[in-house]
Amino acid sequence: MIELIASGLVLASMYGLVAVGISLTWSSVGMLNLAQGFVFTFGGYVAFLFAQYMAKNFSIRDGVLLSLGVVLLGMIGSAIAGLIVGGLAFLPLHDRVNFPVRGLIATLAISIMGTQIFMLIFGPQSKPLPQIFGIKRLKIGEFSIAYGQVGTIVVATVVLLIVTLWMRRSRRGLQMRAMMMNPLGANMVGVSVRTTGMIALAISGALAGLASVLLGQIFFVSPTSGVQPLIVGLIISLAGGLGSMPGTVLAAVLLGFAEAVTARYTEQSFVPFVQFALVIAILTFKPRGLGGVLEDVRE
Amino acid sequence: MSKYEVGRRRLIPRWPVRTSSLFHRVRVPGTKRSLLRFEGRYNPKTLQRELILRDKKPLFWMVGLFALAAIPIAVGQQLVFSIFGSICFFAAINVLWTLIIGTAGLQSYASLATVGVGAYAATYLSITYGIPWPIMLIAGTLFGALMGFIISVPARRLDGLYYALLTIGISEFLRSYITQSESLGGQFNGALFGADRIVSEEAMQTSSGQTISYLVSFFVLLISLAIFRLVSGGRIGILLRTAQSSKEDESFAAAIGIDFQRARLFVFLISSAALGFVGAFYATNQGGASLSLFSLDQMLLLLAMIVIGGLGKAEGAVVGTVIVVFLNQWFTSWGPWRIVLVGFLMLASVLYTRNGLFGLRQQLIEIRERRKALSRATRTTRYGAFLPEQGPEISDKGVIAEREFERAIRDQLRDWITPEIIEEHRLSPLGQHSDHLERILNYFRKQPISNKYVVYCESAFQAYRVVALSGIPGVPPRLVDDKTYSNLDEAYHAVFLRRINDLKSQH
Repeated sequence: MIELIASGLVLASMYGLVAVGISLTWSSVGMLNLAQGFVFTFGGYVAFLFAQYMAKNFSIRDGVLLSLGVVLLGMIGSAIAGLIVGGLAFLPLHDRVNFPVRGLIATLAISIMGTQIFMLIFGPQSKPLPQIFGIKRLKIGEFSIAYGQVGTIVVATVVLLIVTLWMRRSRRGLQMRAMMMNPLGANMVGVSVRTTGMIALAISGALAGLASVLLGQIFFVSPTSGVQPLIVGLIISLAGGLGSMPGTVLAAVLLGFAEAVTARYTEQSFVPFVQFALVIAILTFKPRGLGGVLEDVRE
Repeated sequence: MSKYEVGRRRLIPRWPVRTSSLFHRVRVPGTKRSLLRFEGRYNPKTLQRELILRDKKPLFWMVGLFALAAIPIAVGQQLVFSIFGSICFFAAINVLWTLIIGTAGLQSYASLATVGVGAYAATYLSITYGIPWPIMLIAGTLFGALMGFIISVPARRLDGLYYALLTIGISEFLRSYITQSESLGGQFNGALFGADRIVSEEAMQTSSGQTISYLVSFFVLLISLAIFRLVSGGRIGILLRTAQSSKEDESFAAAIGIDFQRARLFVFLISSAALGFVGAFYATNQGGASLSLFSLDQMLLLLAMIVIGGLGKAEGAVVGTVIVVFLNQWFTSWGPWRIVLVGFLMLASVLYTRNGLFGLRQQLIEIRERRKALSRATRTTRYGAFLPEQGPEISDKGVIAEREFERAIRDQLRDWITPEIIEEHRLSPLGQHSDHLERILNYFRKQPISNKYVVYCESAFQAYRVVALSGIPGVPPRLVDDKTYSNLDEAYHAVFLRRINDLKSQH
């Protein structure tokens, strides 16, 4: 039972990190960032390069400092990738006609190029990341949970909480929420669309980078490792209501548990169908997702 | 013949004709359309009867499609056959997808997945029940329509990008289902082979077998182009174009009684069925289906083709496909760089063009118009005269000459206006005048009647006023100011001063 909850929460926190990033970008920038997979993989490779460098030059293969460095560099790398996406797709296009569709296509183009460039540099093989939480297991009564799972859940929750607090308390957060509610109005009172948009892209990138490092514990990093998180993240942010943090987290928990339960009691091949049916059911009753805050605002 | 060939009008194709057939049109039986848009007219210069071809697009289509059909058969190599085969296959999908994205305006990215459903369904049925290829094609069409129906259900409730997300998710979920399903090739990494083929595997080794197989692919492309033409160029296309670009348009369409939702779903169903047919054709051509039909990368490549060519146009879809497939399959030695190049082209066409390759012409025309307007606005000194860039817009060249002449006259007269001349007129408005003053007055006399200043007699020998004629019969003149003049000479001079003023301000 505890194992089920743990695996459900692990999935939920991974999905949540990516989905919150996508949702944040969409609501404040007005662009669907389909290059989030590229951003995700970028952070993973930066963390991998760091770990490789440390292992080669200083023979550090584990330890708290290395773990911290891997997580931080993964996040920074992905934030930079987010800024690259912003520089290529958001800054040149955001004041042109038909920005939503053109932005979407531009991010898709970036994601095509990104995958191939990773393939050129790193080759198609998967690269391992160091086990940042160690490989021991935590014993609760007769059940045991891997430290990795506990760490993933804790770190994801803490980071999401920090982002939520930052959005609610800080001045930048206020600006971003203003952009979400009414971009034109925010612009009129002096909120810079460009600066705020780039910050939103960097933050969502950092979240994706964290997810990448955490997921890298299980699946390693490969040029196409960003596709699956991107798709699931998109679906979750859709079901959660693009732009709503609580809705997105709720949807991530729902879909994570749906996946954990389905995978445990039936076959793995049913997972997509269950998730998909769940999302369709949510969207049938609430077409704007669980959060549903952005009713027609973006039109 | 003129010495210098200026302008592009001479490039329009034209034929001299006899009187009887000048206004004769050949219509497609059963419709009011004609294949080529000819216009019969008399040439204004030579006064010869001629037919002008107003729309050259059908000619380009014919030449392009003929080249597409003939080149691989003429070359006859297996590699060329396979490249052109993929061009036809992908172009068929893209044309139908354009129908969904462009004409129906539904942001569906599950088109390739619909093709995949058609292919897998047809292959599965063929392997399990041993059905021959004609029935496979029918089955694929039915499954495509079914898939279209299923994914069109949420389209009613979700709009725009939400729907785009959902359809991307659908294709990804279908892909992972097929990877893990036992009966649909889970054990062969998603590939399912062994279906009935149109051209058998042994025949594919021979050159004639390859030719037949290629011609069948080409025929499928023709079918999809025909569907595009029928749907997009027909009544339903007009209905949908009313509701195409924005929410306001949708409301407008609904207000004038167009059920655009139903029209959209209808187009969606037709294209989905056709996509299923293309999928079944893929299965009969390749002898099965493979997982690449569902992969995100393949979908992105298809999208790149549409975006590079120009969204919403059949010619954009086809030419974009030719470019991308050629890059992708001819330059295989470049490795991943060719895909990077495709991505780069896609990014560049999004950043710098409004609608891909085939939107470029319109965009350039608009840029030129803007430049023209800008330079016109900055050249205030030649107001009222002819500007060189207006040349093509004025058909009667006499108008241009007249304007130039009038401008020259005005420039000349303006130089002659001096205080002495004005004083001379004040002393004797009617009397004998110097040459310059007489010429100025002659110029004023021949000006058109509208807005011309004249003297109005309020009461004889006591009060005169200056009025301006309206120039329209039945519309009285208007007063230009509230001054009254006690004698006629003063009034004459007041009119003269006003006209001088206008001449000075008019460049």
